[in-house]
Amino acid sequence: MSAYTFTVNGVTHTVTEKKSLLRYLRDDLRLTSVKDGCSQGACGACTVIIDGETVKACVPTTDRLAGKNILTVEGLSEWEAKVYTFAYGEAGAVQCGFCIPGMVMCTKALLDKNPDPTEAEIKYALRNNYCRCTGYVKIIAAVKLAAQIWREGRIPEASATDWKVGSRVHRLDVEEKVLGYGKYPDDYYPEHTTYAGALRSKYPRARVLAIDTSKARALPGVVAVLTADDIPGQNKIGHLKHDQYTLIPVGGLTHYLGDAIALVIAEDMATVEKAKKLIRVDYEVLPAVHSIEEAAAPGAPLVFDEEASNVQAYKHVSRGDASGAIAGAPHVISAHFETPWTEHAFLEPEAATAFLDDDGDIFIYSTDQSAHQTLHECQLLLGTKKIKVQNALVGGGFGGKEDMTVQHLAALAVYHTHRPVKMNLTRAESLLVHPKRHHFVMDFTMGCDHDGKILGVKAKVASDTGAYASLGGPVLERACTHAAGPYAYENFEIEGTAYYTNNPPAGAFRGFGVTQTCFATETLLNMMAEKIGISPWEIRCRNAIRPWGVLPNGQIVDDSTGLVETLEAVKPYYDAAVAAGKPVGLACAMKNAGVGVGIPDTGRVKLIVEPDGKLHIYSGASCIGQGLGTVLVQNVVEYTGLSRADIVYERSNTWIAPDSGTTSGSRQTLITGEACIRACRKFMEAYTDGVALADLVGREFYGEYLAKTDPLGANVPNPVSHVAYGYATQMCILDKKTGKVEQMVAAHDVGKAVNPLSCEGQIEGGVVMSMGFALREDYPLDENCKPTGKYGALGLFRAHEIPEIKAIVVDKPGLNVAGGAIGIGEITSIPTAPAITEAYYQYDGQRRYSLPISGTPYRK
Amino acid sequence: MPIKKKFPYRAAVVACNGGCRASKTVDTKCVYGCIGCEQCVLACRFGAIRINDLGIAEVDEAKCIACGKCVSYCPQNLIHIHECANYIVVKCSNRDKGRDARAVCEVSCIGCGMCEKICSANAIHVENNVAVIEEGKCLSCGMCAVNCPRGALIDTRGVLTGKY
Repeated sequence: MSAYTFTVNGVTHTVTEKKSLLRYLRDDLRLTSVKDGCSQGACGACTVIIDGETVKACVPTTDRLAGKNILTVEGLSEWEAKVYTFAYGEAGAVQCGFCIPGMVMCTKALLDKNPDPTEAEIKYALRNNYCRCTGYVKIIAAVKLAAQIWREGRIPEASATDWKVGSRVHRLDVEEKVLGYGKYPDDYYPEHTTYAGALRSKYPRARVLAIDTSKARALPGVVAVLTADDIPGQNKIGHLKHDQYTLIPVGGLTHYLGDAIALVIAEDMATVEKAKKLIRVDYEVLPAVHSIEEAAAPGAPLVFDEEASNVQAYKHVSRGDASGAIAGAPHVISAHFETPWTEHAFLEPEAATAFLDDDGDIFIYSTDQSAHQTLHECQLLLGTKKIKVQNALVGGGFGGKEDMTVQHLAALAVYHTHRPVKMNLTRAESLLVHPKRHHFVMDFTMGCDHDGKILGVKAKVASDTGAYASLGGPVLERACTHAAGPYAYENFEIEGTAYYTNNPPAGAFRGFGVTQTCFATETLLNMMAEKIGISPWEIRCRNAIRPWGVLPNGQIVDDSTGLVETLEAVKPYYDAAVAAGKPVGLACAMKNAGVGVGIPDTGRVKLIVEPDGKLHIYSGASCIGQGLGTVLVQNVVEYTGLSRADIVYERSNTWIAPDSGTTSGSRQTLITGEACIRACRKFMEAYTDGVALADLVGREFYGEYLAKTDPLGANVPNPVSHVAYGYATQMCILDKKTGKVEQMVAAHDVGKAVNPLSCEGQIEGGVVMSMGFALREDYPLDENCKPTGKYGALGLFRAHEIPEIKAIVVDKPGLNVAGGAIGIGEITSIPTAPAITEAYYQYDGQRRYSLPISGTPYRK
Repeated sequence: MPIKKKFPYRAAVVACNGGCRASKTVDTKCVYGCIGCEQCVLACRFGAIRINDLGIAEVDEAKCIACGKCVSYCPQNLIHIHECANYIVVKCSNRDKGRDARAVCEVSCIGCGMCEKICSANAIHVENNVAVIEEGKCLSCGMCAVNCPRGALIDTRGVLTGKY
C-alpha cells in the first residue's frame, strides 16, 4: 500500500487512502472551514492554498499531494486572522459566509505574492470563486483593505462601533465566518453518525408498481432502507398546500425526477450509493407534462392523481375598468414577455444533521428559512411533537430553502434508527430538488394619454410551478398584485394561472413573482416613453406614486413612500450618461415588506437575561445571510441603551425562540424588528434606575407584532394590502465600445437603514444576481424534465465580470413601526432586468422581450 | 522584465507535451506535435521560449509578452496565446482518432471526452478529436487535468499536475 506524506497547516500527515483532499480535510482532520459547496470544482468554497497557489480542495486526490504544503483558514497566523476578520468586517464583505473561507484563501495567496494589487488583479484572484450574496463588491473592497493593513502593519479603528440604529457596524458573525469556525449543518459530525441519501425517481411521470429493497437492506453497512410505508404520520407535506410527497408509495405517481422513493441510511456515503443501486423499482412509465402549454392543453395528462386539472392556482385582480381605459387611450402598446426558470445557486447545498437528544427528542440542525416551518412539517410527517429544530448557519437561501428537502428525511431516519444522521444533497441533487424561480409567460397591454400618464394596464400571465405547489400560489398572487408597478393610476386588471407540470418545482425566489411581471411592465413603460417622446425617467416621474396617493390596488400609501426620491437620486447619473451619449436604461419597482393581503403575519421576540448576566435575543426567525442578528442587536442597543457587550444574539430555534415567521417577503427587518422593539420596551419597564442587568437574571421580556392587512378583494374602498412597500430605481449604463455593462446605479428607499453597510451589501448582491437573470442565467430542462446545467455553467456572474455598482441608500421616515425600517432583501433584484434591457435597446435598437436577453457580449 | 506587461497577462502556450520525445533530427511519429524546429525560439525577441529537455518548445510566461510572433512562425500551428490566469491548458494538438493518437504518444489527447463530462462549467469540449478549453468559461479548477487518463492537460503552476 502506498502512503502519501504532506503537511496541513504545518503538521505532517501520512495518508494511505486515496480520497479527495476536501473529504480528507473535512472528514478526517475536521477542518470544517473547508466548505463542500459542490465537489465539482465549480463553487470555490473549498479553496485552500497548496504551495502558495489556490486550489479547490475537491479537485486533487491525496495520492497527488506527496510533499505538498497545504494551508486552510485554520492555519492562518494570529495576525493574519485578525487582519482578514477586520478587513472583511469593515468592508461589509460577509453575508451568508459560506464562500468566505475560500475567498480569504484567495486573498492570502494574492497578498503573499503581490502586496499592492490593483482592482483588476484582485478580481482575477477571486474570479474562480462564486459568491451569490454580495455581488463581490465588498469582498473586493475587503481585499483592498487587507492589502493596505498588510502594508501599513497596523489595524486601524473600526469606522463605526456604537451599534445604534443607522450605524455601519461590522456584522456580529464576521469572525466565525471569516475564520471558518461557525457551523453550518454539515459541519456537525455527531459520534457514530450514519449517512442518508434518497433514491430518486427514474422518470418524471410514472406509476410506481413495486419497490424491492431487500438486496439493499442486506448490504453490509446499511442501517435501514425506508419507504412510504415507514412514514408514521402524513406522507404529504408542504409549505402551505400539503401536496409534496416525502416518499412515493407503491401505486403512487411520481411528479418529477427529484421525487424520493426510498431513503437509504448507512454507515458511510459509499455504502449509501451502493445500496441505492440495489433497490429495484418497477415503473409504469407515463407521458410527462413538460410545459405550461402541455399542462393547459385539453386532455392533458394530470400531474396529480388527486387533482381534477393541472391548474395549481388562479388569481384575478381587477380594479377600475382596464379594458375601457385602454379602449379610450390615445397610445396603446401590447407585448408578449417570457422569463426563464432561475436556480438560486446558494453556495451551501441543502444539509441536515439530526440525532436523538437527551430529552429523547429528534434534534435537527437545519439550514432553512424558518426553523418553525421545518418543525411543523416534520411533526406532520412523523406524527409526533418530540422534535426540536435549531438553525445552524444558513449558507444562503434567496427563497430556495423555504421547503423541506433534507430536514424531514433526516428526521425520519432518526425516528427509525435512533442514530445520528447526516443528510446532504449533492450539488446535482440540489439543482434538481429545491423549488426554483417560476418561468412566466406574460401578455401585457398598456394605455397612456398624450402626456404619458398611464390610463390602464391589462395583463394575462401564466407560470410553471412544476411538480409541487410550494409557494406557487402566493408567488402568482404577488406577481399579479405588483404587476401594476409603483404608479398612481386606477384601471388595472390581471389574470394569472399557475400550472403543475412534471418539471422541478418552482417556489419562492428573491422578488417572489414581481421580478417577472416587473420586467413586462417596466419594458412597456420604456416603449411608451419612446412612443410619446419623453425620457424613461420623465415618464416614471409623471406616473410615480407619491405619499398619500392611491396605488392601482386601492391602497393609500403613507409618508414613507420614496419612489420619487429614488428617481431624484439617480438623476445626476442619468443625465450625465445621457449627455455623454452613453446607452442608458432605467426601471423602477416596488416590493412589499411583510406577507400582507390579510394573512396573519406575526413577529415574535423574547429577550431573556441569562445567568451570564447578558440579555439574550431569541426569535424564531432565520438569518439566512442577510444579517438579521445584527439588525436585532442594533435595535436592542438603540432602544435599551445597553452596550453591545451585554447582548447575545441566539440563532433561531423552536423550543425557546418564539415563531417569528419565515424569512420571506422582505419581512424580518420590519416584522421581527418591530417585535424586538416592543420587547425592548417591556425590558425597559423593568430595567429602571438602580436596577442592574444582573438583577434581572431569569426574567423574560416578550414582544409581539401582528402586521394587520386586508385580504385581496376586501370590500373596503382602500384596502391595506401591505404594511409597507420599498421603492427603487435602478439604472444601467453600457460601455459603447465593448457593449458590456459599465455601471449599475441602484437607489433604494428603505425607510430607515438599520445598518447602511448591510443595506449596500443587499443592493450590490441583488443587482449582480439579477444581472445574471437579465443577461445570462438559464436553467435548461431536457425532454425528460431533467435540468441539464451544472453549477459552473448556470451563468452566474464572476468577480471579474461585474461592472461598477453604485448603491444609494435612501432613508425616508414615515413608517410608524420598526423604527421606520422597510425590508430590502428582494427589491434589489427586481428592476435590474428591465433597466438592462432598455440600455441594450438604446445601444442597438433591438427590443427584447425574453430573458435572458440575447445579442449581447454576455450571451450570443 | 524588459517590457511592462498589461494585466491580465497573456502568454504563448505550446499545445504539445512532447510525449513522443520530438527532435528536429529524427522524424517524429506524431505529425501534429512540436518538432523542435526552433523557429519559435529564433523568432522570439524576448528569449521567452526554448527547446526543453524533451525536445519541444516551452514558454517562460514571465518573459513572454504574448506578441504572437511564435504563433505565426510555428510550422505545426500548435502555439496559441492564452491568459496566464487560465493555468489549466491542453498540451496536445493531435487531431487523430483515439487509437492513432495513443499509438504515437504517451501523453496525447485521445478525444475520450472525460474532461467534457467532468467539467462543471461546460468549458472544455472535444473538437476534431482534441480537447479545447473555452477560456471565458473555465474556472481553472483542474478537475479535467487530474481526471485526464492521458495527462494531456496540465496545470502550468505545477500544483495539480507536473509542469509538463
